Amino acid sequence: MSSLERNNSTPSSEFQENLELLRQIYFFSGIPLETLKVFAYLCTRENFKQDEYIFSQDEDDGQAFYIINGQAQLERQDNGETTEVREYKTGDFIGGLTLLGETRRLFSLKSVTETTCLVLNRAKFSKTLEQFPNLLAKICNALAKSIDLWEERFLANRADQCGECMSQLGVTLI
Amino acid sequence: MEKTEPSIVKRSLFSWIFPGNLKLQILLLLIIIVMVAARVIPLEMQRLVINEAIKLQRIDLLLRYCGIYLAAVVFFSLLKYLTNVIQTLITQRTTARMRKALYHHILTLPLNFFRNTQPGTVVNALTTELTVPGNFVGLAVASPVTNILTLLAFAIYLFVLNPLLAAVSLSIYPIVVFLIPLLQRGVNKANKKRVDAARTFSARIAESISGIHEIHGNGAYRIENRKYDSLVDRLLKIRIVWSLYRFAVKTANGFFTALGPFLVFILGGYLTIKGQLELGALVAFLSAQERLFDPWKDLIEFYQVYQDGKINYERTMEYFDVEPEHAIEPKDRGPMELAGTVEVKDLSFVTDTGIHLLDGINMSLEEGEHLALVGFSGSGKSTLALCIGQLYKYTGGSVMIGDKEVSGLTKKDMVNNIGFVAQSPFIFDGTIEENILYSSMAKIDGNGQAEEEQRPTLDDIIAVLHQTGIFVDILRFGLNAILTHGKNEELVDTIVKVRKNFQQDYGKDLADYVEFFDENRYLYYSSVVENLTFGAPNKSDFSDENLSKNQYFLKFLKTADLTRPLLSLGVTLCRQTVDILGNLPPDAVFFEQSPISAEELDDFKLLVERLKKKKLHELEDDDHRKLLELALRFTPGVHKMAALPEILETLILEGRALFREKISEDNPEAFTFIQMSQYIYSQTILNNIFFGKTKTGNPSAQEQIDQSIIQLLIEEDLLETIIEIGMHYQVGTKGDKLSGGQQQKLAIARVFLKAPKILIMDEATSALDNKSQARIQNLLETRWKKKSTVVSVVHRLDTIKNFDKVAVMKAGKILEMGTYDELMARKGMLYELVGKK
Repeated sequence: MSSLERNNSTPSSEFQENLELLRQIYFFSGIPLETLKVFAYLCTRENFKQDEYIFSQDEDDGQAFYIINGQAQLERQDNGETTEVREYKTGDFIGGLTLLGETRRLFSLKSVTETTCLVLNRAKFSKTLEQFPNLLAKICNALAKSIDLWEERFLANRADQCGECMSQLGVTLI
Repeated sequence: MEKTEPSIVKRSLFSWIFPGNLKLQILLLLIIIVMVAARVIPLEMQRLVINEAIKLQRIDLLLRYCGIYLAAVVFFSLLKYLTNVIQTLITQRTTARMRKALYHHILTLPLNFFRNTQPGTVVNALTTELTVPGNFVGLAVASPVTNILTLLAFAIYLFVLNPLLAAVSLSIYPIVVFLIPLLQRGVNKANKKRVDAARTFSARIAESISGIHEIHGNGAYRIENRKYDSLVDRLLKIRIVWSLYRFAVKTANGFFTALGPFLVFILGGYLTIKGQLELGALVAFLSAQERLFDPWKDLIEFYQVYQDGKINYERTMEYFDVEPEHAIEPKDRGPMELAGTVEVKDLSFVTDTGIHLLDGINMSLEEGEHLALVGFSGSGKSTLALCIGQLYKYTGGSVMIGDKEVSGLTKKDMVNNIGFVAQSPFIFDGTIEENILYSSMAKIDGNGQAEEEQRPTLDDIIAVLHQTGIFVDILRFGLNAILTHGKNEELVDTIVKVRKNFQQDYGKDLADYVEFFDENRYLYYSSVVENLTFGAPNKSDFSDENLSKNQYFLKFLKTADLTRPLLSLGVTLCRQTVDILGNLPPDAVFFEQSPISAEELDDFKLLVERLKKKKLHELEDDDHRKLLELALRFTPGVHKMAALPEILETLILEGRALFREKISEDNPEAFTFIQMSQYIYSQTILNNIFFGKTKTGNPSAQEQIDQSIIQLLIEEDLLETIIEIGMHYQVGTKGDKLSGGQQQKLAIARVFLKAPKILIMDEATSALDNKSQARIQNLLETRWKKKSTVVSVVHRLDTIKNFDKVAVMKAGKILEMGTYDELMARKGMLYELVGKK
């Protein structure tokens, strides 16, 4: 409850802070303010202790996270072995795809330091979406663009190191 | 009762008039005959008053005739009231009977029917559409008989008095009866045109307003004006014609009504002067003339009701005139006990439009064998399961359960032997308990005395709750219940006894998730009022909803300098919440984190409008009360649209001490203050155990909380008590207070409780997490194998290894079938599917 303990004479509400944060997230770009307000209102803040799992591989927790504060490690388990995949830090948004449909996590996310996240779940997201039917097109558009951007960057920066995995590329062509 | 009657959709409207209402209708008829006689008496009395009492100047006669007149009028009014009561009875009883019969019929219609039928259509048919037919049945005897008899009685009376005058004065009515409907038809026609034109007109306005930036951008004012003006002109013409007709009807009506007395005066006056008619008779004619109009009018109205009622009734019945696919209950035998074998031969299912959803399916299952149906969506696996379960009527081939063909069985036979868990199960409004028992009760319903014996016991239920993993959810509902004074005393005592130890044992671990009650700190997960009073009210005028009206409390707020800051907090909350939620539907998801409930939202919307026009101090007292109430509910940890100013926090903490001091002195019984040694009746059981409130809905935190609580409850032997309380939790309309997973677990639990011989599961675990899914799978393998036959449509291929048979489907056909290992070794379709995964 850090934000509440920091009350001063003209405090801004958690809702307003959430709204500011959501406006910076690419996934929500192009969404009109009226709808974004509903999302900002429905979001909750969760604190995770050091080494606590934020989500776990193979589970469908149906949540998207924005790291307000802290650091988290993405892991992948294969045949009992854990591989560290990458790190997320303050300001990263994780799991937009989860909001759109039932998917099981391919990775686990574990907090490295004490971490505070803004969390939105699929139930709230889809209930809101039902109220603003035009929205889905905008979100699909943002999603398609970000997948496209991802692969374009991968090709530009990493393709030469890829070797055999080259034949598996083409996520933008699904 | 309906079994003996023909199906409601085949019944004619007239068939409702006498059956079931016979006694009432006959009674009505008798009353009407007396009533009509009572109606002629005043006319005769009028004549006698003038001809005898006045002419002979005899007061006694005057009094006698007037007395009879009065008695007749009173008697008539009483009878009239009585007929109205009887008519209403007939109307309402018939409407109720129609509604019941139609609803009972609709529920039996095939699933296919509902695919093309909106729920709104059914609602409309059952509510509004049947009202007019019901009205007709109420009027069907009374109206024509009363009015025709009245007309006849008047006519005969008048003819007896003077045949010529009677003929002349009655002659107007046929003209009125023909002319007015003619004009009315003109009105209706013009009105229809007007409605159409108004629609085009509105569409035009809406279009130009929403495209206003384009009009401005192009400066196309004249173009748009021309389009609009021509529509206005058209509407103008139509409206004039419409008005002309309407006034014509009115004028004609007035004219003929006035014409009647004119004819009586001119002819009757002439006859009276000539001494051929008595003065009294003339007066009787004049009043009869007036009274003749009503029966005419009533008859015409009755005809209208008949027409409307007939059309509504026929259209409704025609719409629902569909045969149920299967009989509901066997007629001349008891429900069958079937063996658990399934034999499908050359099964096909073709839609009306010729699409083969299933095509030449062959398969068989021994009793107790488990089959997994896999394949892409649209491959026909659900359709196959639904055909086996008789929910779809297959169009070719055969499905045998035991030695019986499924299409020849009744629903009751199926229900007694088969359990069905749908893909998105439906949970009905009611308690958890009612929903858990739903399938079992439907099975034993109508079994008479055996019903009570067959009813599952609490132990059965609890076992199933454990098996399906919904136990913890129900425990949570129980823990969130608020107890009332005087009930569950044992539970209350134990909680008070254990909570100190509980806080010592678990306090440190739970500190991150629970905000413990602390007299010296502000509680962010408690409301402003809870922070202020720090206790549970014992008197209703101090309850949360009455506090903002309580003068003592309001005075206290003033003394503590809290009134202004709380009102301004109320304004912020009201504005922000209305801004965010103003246009959203009353769904629980949107209002969980709101201080304004869905029902109050409209009220507060209006308040926001008033706040725009007036300053806070200019508002009415009632508005101040609303804003204050809102501020008192404010819970910073839950309601995130506003922040709690630091100064207010300090004031409230100071107010807490002050309030306790004052109320202990002035009204010590009003509150029980929060303390370790007292049960807090305003709080949930869980909050009482914690002596605090949970801060988070985070699943992993929830799990940790559950574990510690369950351990405590087991130690104190309270688990069953809490579960029983949880079983009374209301699940909400369509079960909307349950999560998708909880709904699915509940659906599985209610079928498991029924323990059917054949279990059909259509992606029954799709909304469950891994653990719950594994639990159900494990249960099927250990407890159900060799006992019940299972047909399971499966979407997660990691669960199918231990099924006896796996069938892979594609485009309505079974491509391969065998054990998991066989199919994998064959490296066919299943291998490919699993590989893709």
